Amino acid sequence: MASQSKANILASHAANAGLKIPLPAISMRNARDLGADEPFHPLDERIIAGAVEALESGQTHYVDVPGIAPLREAIAKHLNAACGSNWQSDNILVTAGMQEARFLTIQMIGAQYAHIAVPAVAHPGVQKALGVRRRQVVSLPTEAARGYLPSLDAIAAALKNGCRLLYLESPSRLSGAVYTQSQVARIAELLAQHDAAAIWDQGLARWVDGDCHSLAAQAAESTAAIGEAWHGFGLGSWLVGSIAAPTEWIAPMQSQKQIMAICTSTASQYAALAASEIVGETHEQRLAQMRRQRAAAVAMASGLGLETLPGAANNLLALQADASLRGRLAEAGIDFAAGEDFGAPDIVRLNIGAATAAAIEALG
Amino acid sequence: MSKKKQAAGTNLLYQLIAEARTYDDVIVMGRGDPDFDTPAHIVAAAKQAMIHHQADVPPAAGLPALREAIAARVKRVNNIDVDPASEVVVTNGGQEALFLMVLATLGAGDELIVPEPNYNTYADSLAFAGGVKVAVQTGHEEDFRADPAAVRAAITEKTRALLLVSPNNPAANVISPADMRALLNIAIEHDLMILADDIYDLFVYDDFVHTSPASLPGGKERSLTLNALSKAYSMTGWRLGWIVGPADLMARVAELKAAISGGTSIISQHAGIAALTGPQDAVEMMAAAYARRRRLVLDALDEMGMQYGLPQGGQFVFANIAFTGMDSAEVAQRILSEQHVLAYPGSAFSKERKDYLRMTFLQPEEQLVEGLRRMKLAMAGI
Repeated sequence: MASQSKANILASHAANAGLKIPLPAISMRNARDLGADEPFHPLDERIIAGAVEALESGQTHYVDVPGIAPLREAIAKHLNAACGSNWQSDNILVTAGMQEARFLTIQMIGAQYAHIAVPAVAHPGVQKALGVRRRQVVSLPTEAARGYLPSLDAIAAALKNGCRLLYLESPSRLSGAVYTQSQVARIAELLAQHDAAAIWDQGLARWVDGDCHSLAAQAAESTAAIGEAWHGFGLGSWLVGSIAAPTEWIAPMQSQKQIMAICTSTASQYAALAASEIVGETHEQRLAQMRRQRAAAVAMASGLGLETLPGAANNLLALQADASLRGRLAEAGIDFAAGEDFGAPDIVRLNIGAATAAAIEALG
Repeated sequence: MSKKKQAAGTNLLYQLIAEARTYDDVIVMGRGDPDFDTPAHIVAAAKQAMIHHQADVPPAAGLPALREAIAARVKRVNNIDVDPASEVVVTNGGQEALFLMVLATLGAGDELIVPEPNYNTYADSLAFAGGVKVAVQTGHEEDFRADPAAVRAAITEKTRALLLVSPNNPAANVISPADMRALLNIAIEHDLMILADDIYDLFVYDDFVHTSPASLPGGKERSLTLNALSKAYSMTGWRLGWIVGPADLMARVAELKAAISGGTSIISQHAGIAALTGPQDAVEMMAAAYARRRRLVLDALDEMGMQYGLPQGGQFVFANIAFTGMDSAEVAQRILSEQHVLAYPGSAFSKERKDYLRMTFLQPEEQLVEGLRRMKLAMAGI
């Protein structure tokens, strides 16, 4: 006999559109996979050595829920140096990747507020995290011309209308666009004015030239900053992310982390710790290379009459591309991130890499 | 009231763990973390994966090769037939599996029948989902057996699912094949889902037999079954578990998994393949060690005159401390502070269990002997 209980569960599931949005792959599977969240980068031998040494010395057991102490310290130090924040180790919660960071912040900080304002165009993981336990969402309008960052007016309007929690990406996960220092300062003012708070995804900040302009540097008491540890370093599939937040926010997220995972993989944490010691070593060189590749891709696209979106993160490029253009990418065997999964149809996101020029050529 | 006494449930356990870390000579008989390190061949496989499989990008549901290994394992051990492509989801340990099972099947106001005592995270996960726990109490006098008649009596029009953890944590009861059939029949009769937690299925003692509800006729289509490598392969730090179940429900589990954490560490997954497909002698060695330690602990408790439910499986004993006249949180605190022995208070598992302590077998025998000696001293002082 068919189960009515199961039918009810499945019907409820079918109605939950947020959960059905596909996520981009975590990292590139091959050179022509330009749709992943992280560019492929071979692991430095020292990262492997750090993880192996930990495992062979018996670090195969549960570790502290918020993460191993030296990694938390390294993450705090890195964020402070890169973004001008002032986090301590107890402000850091290590997560099993970026999506867990999104989920914990959206659900647990979100539980303290009646509404959460979210950009109409954002990483699909945001809608997925919201779909697990539905929250009252205020959609912040976005435009392609601004790289899909909500305007300050839109943010102010949401706050004026009573919303007290913002979710913002800077750089945008679709376009790489960032808020300027003065815009970040204005957002901090708005938070203070309305006694509001923000979840600030700054995971792509390391690919931006110059300072990253973190909201955490200007509104530390009301900001939770999230990101990968460390983006683009070959650790994508090892799944290590972090949340930096005031300790009173860390506490409920830590409890929830215990409930849903106990801790993050020990091997992954020791690998991330080893990476923290070399994360800056070759960064300028890689950034310069990506900057050149991205500039060349933009020039090439322009020459072919393709419209690129404004963006400051050198690891990706977003372009206008209707269904027929996207079909050409597929024919050329090039994977891309579909803008429609982010809420922006007719946009494609390409990683900057060896095959980016071939992708632009296919589009043109 | 002191801050220590205010903590409850999971937070109480973590508070005790934190204090235990401050003692150099502590003997840990609380946390369910085996003292054995992960077998060397699994660590070696992880190392190879770091070198040769860096570019692997598994789907959120897990590497196909791991899902195949899991399907073969649940067929071999649990007699459950599953399609690795559509009926297996890999998780960040048994804990994420547990959370996902609850979220996948229960929503606001839905009732889950829980034979008590039980693992406290089920209540935490249920609270996140907005569901309601309906406890069916069991006692040490009956070795914590959940009477199917009591389960039937607890069913209301809001009941949606039945939780079956066998061997149980913390009570170590193993649901007999006859009781499992009776419980499944009740679930079928009342159209309930079954959440089955088999994480201790390789640790069953004496003549007791583990039965997975999904292995019985009519069971698979209404059961989600979790397991993990943490306990059987001493891989708690790797965070690798799974859920198996019917494809339609597993599609929901897979989407929730993607929404919550996006995936599972690639290195842990390759280690998991090595664990499931490689030599199993380490598992057999650990199971034999736990059986010896269980006997040792039970003999010591008998000597102290303590009552308990016979641990038919698992890695714990849940002992009654009513004779102390004290709340288990106070007793656990006293044993820890005075004798540096960590045991878990029953009140952390449910408020009705303030007369119990959970003790694990997860320390070398000489450590257990010393821990029990100190515990006896602490008890004598109460």
